[in-house]
Amino acid sequence: MTMIEPILPPSTHEFAEVIHRLEAGGTMLPDTPENLMQIIGLYKAYAVPMDFYWRDLLYIAEQVFLDPLPIFKYFLPSEYLELANHYAGDQADLRIWRGGATAHPELRQFMTKGELNRPLPKLAHHLWHDRINMEFAEECMRAMLWHRNMGGELDTYLDSEEYRQNADRAIRAYFQFNPVMLGLYRLFPDLFIEQCRQATMTSVLGLFWEIMAPVFFEMSDLYDEGKLTSVPEAMNFLVNGIFAIAGRPIYHRVRIRGEWYDIVPRAKGFTWLYEAAFPYVEAVFYRTSPFRGTKSYNAQARQIPADQNDFHYGVLYADKFPVGSAGIPPTLLHQDMYHFLPPYLVDYYRQHCRGEDDMLIQLAISFQRSMYCVTSAVIQAGRAALLYPLDDSNPRHRWANRAYFEGQINRFCRRDYGMHQAARLTAIQSQSYR
Amino acid sequence: MPSIVDIAVGNDAFQTLVTAVKVAGLVEALASPGPFTVFAPHDAAFAKLPPGTITSLVQNPPQLARILKFHVVAGCYHRADLNHHRQLVSLEGTTIDLYSDEHTLEVNNATVIAADVVADNGVIHVIDTVILMRPHWFAGIMASARSGLKPH
Repeated sequence: MTMIEPILPPSTHEFAEVIHRLEAGGTMLPDTPENLMQIIGLYKAYAVPMDFYWRDLLYIAEQVFLDPLPIFKYFLPSEYLELANHYAGDQADLRIWRGGATAHPELRQFMTKGELNRPLPKLAHHLWHDRINMEFAEECMRAMLWHRNMGGELDTYLDSEEYRQNADRAIRAYFQFNPVMLGLYRLFPDLFIEQCRQATMTSVLGLFWEIMAPVFFEMSDLYDEGKLTSVPEAMNFLVNGIFAIAGRPIYHRVRIRGEWYDIVPRAKGFTWLYEAAFPYVEAVFYRTSPFRGTKSYNAQARQIPADQNDFHYGVLYADKFPVGSAGIPPTLLHQDMYHFLPPYLVDYYRQHCRGEDDMLIQLAISFQRSMYCVTSAVIQAGRAALLYPLDDSNPRHRWANRAYFEGQINRFCRRDYGMHQAARLTAIQSQSYR
Repeated sequence: MPSIVDIAVGNDAFQTLVTAVKVAGLVEALASPGPFTVFAPHDAAFAKLPPGTITSLVQNPPQLARILKFHVVAGCYHRADLNHHRQLVSLEGTTIDLYSDEHTLEVNNATVIAADVVADNGVIHVIDTVILMRPHWFAGIMASARSGLKPH
């Protein structure tokens, strides 16, 4: 990291140390080899299931669509396993990962044998939950659909007449030979349009993760090769990636009997950064929704904010201990990542706490650290795109950068609803949080 | 008098911008009567973007067009007129923030390095940085820092 001359007086923010670190081009996470190892190891463990998530999300959005009984939506057809990632492989639009474009070999191996390590019928693996848990991916999609109005133009478009007409055309074609569903559509059109919006958000998340999987694979490879040596370097790789793919089109199309129907056309100009990345970070990292059993939904208890903008149940605020319990969606993600941990992290977890017994919780906390690093990258990318260089010589510009950093960190300091206690920014400053 | 497009094509410092406008299919629109105010990033401004940014935009003309439209405002605003505005709405639909004092004119995070290049269908102000749309939450983040945390 190049030295940046400080031209402002020190920050008086309660997280002044973090503000100064961000101003120096760092992340919210301290730059230590232990943190670097944890976040990169988790990116690798996340990228393999994510390679399944994005493929299945696109399959659901494009082909399962409004199937009223989508029993087999998690049974990914080989066509989608072979689908070439646009950011990996020889034919990539922009090659981010040097590896292949089709489904990752570790993913294919796991899909065949599962944790049981036995090639049982697919249905047996599915019912035993010995599989990639798409329920988590769909929970993220629902958070994005439910919160809405988080920036970008797609949100407005979903309520437009043009969207309704595009959806109508696809719905009529999809149920062309199903008079019962067509009759129900005539009776309850809004219900079907809302389902279509959900399919659109499924496509948005699939297109978003299609990029993140090769980004994480490449970071893991660079680390293994000794070419990523610090937390800020890891973050800068993410920042450059965010810029490089900012303009990737976000769209939704459905294939019905071999014909493609555009619901959100590419020509609308929707982009990865504005219509997918920013809303994703807001909905999933910050907001989501409180999981049953962790908060009282009783309105008089006032544990849950009346205003959705104040929701703070994302990974940055998550208490990983109850989240590690059964039935809470991120636990399914942890279970997915558990299968693909690099050996150095398995060894590391064995040395701490209760060793292998609480590996899910330990990896969940490493994951939380890694998502603080991704959020830092989004904050720094936002600063670079919307404000000024870190070494800008104009003090007014540097004050603006500081205001932006402090405003972002204020989100972890609010006293209402105990947000400052829920936020894990203080905890991740120390290695003893594990 | 030349149009906005003629001026850009005739100036070596706008090669990237001219290529981008052609790829995005905006030549005809920018040659129309308008009038328009164009905040035109020069080649050095595009060069400041991280590697790959332009490539992926050029591969996707509608997305590129959207970014370019953010640099254009309907109407003809000279430097002196802009002193009286804090914000303008771009053709893309998102608001552009303006800051001016006696020495400088800033457009979002870009500085105007040459103002009032007059064309027959509007005016060009040359800027040193490619500007990108500020999402609606950006103002809230900046305001939160200015006001500090409200006690609850």
